[in-house]
Amino acid sequence: MLYVLDLSLSSAEGFAQAKAFLGGSLAKLVVWGLLSALLYHMVAGVRHLVMDAGVGETLEGGKQGSKIVIAVSAVLIVLAGVWVW
Amino acid sequence: MVTNVTNFSRSGLFDWMAQRVSAVILAAYFLFLLGYLVTHSGLTFADWHGLFAQTSMRVFSLLALVSLGAHAWVGMWTISTDYLTPMAFGKAATALRFLFQAVCGIAMFAFFVWGVQILWSV
Repeated sequence: MLYVLDLSLSSAEGFAQAKAFLGGSLAKLVVWGLLSALLYHMVAGVRHLVMDAGVGETLEGGKQGSKIVIAVSAVLIVLAGVWVW
Repeated sequence: MVTNVTNFSRSGLFDWMAQRVSAVILAAYFLFLLGYLVTHSGLTFADWHGLFAQTSMRVFSLLALVSLGAHAWVGMWTISTDYLTPMAFGKAATALRFLFQAVCGIAMFAFFVWGVQILWSV
């Protein structure tokens, strides 16, 4: 990722190279995979912050929260896939 | 006896806070970049280069880079002290854990230096 950032910022040619590289189907799959992991991690992290604030700390709340995290993440991951392809 | 010398700050409370503050910064940076890329579908080199050439973007990027190092360290430290234990690995646990943490620390430092180099060459 840092390599692609470096390439994309190095010069106009580097930017074109990075663009072409990210257009490949394997690169798209990797980008989607990374985005998926990051989105899920972020949604689960937001849930941690919500629970730090004292919301949903019961057993029932915990179960419900975990379901919400999976549902929201799934929607975001599908949207990310639509965006990547 | 508590022999924790490898945590981020000698204080679990500070680590707890650093993890959350860095998390919010990283979320803001990620959402900003994602939003920028989604709204600039025909992105040109001039736009992209111009974005990262701004001082405000340098500050934001460097803040995110520092946060990434801190966040990853707290996370990896927590995982290593939870799972690389004498209960799971016997006498080798301390050496194994230290090695794992050393690799993580060097990786984070390397990413930080590399990131600074990229940002400052723009």
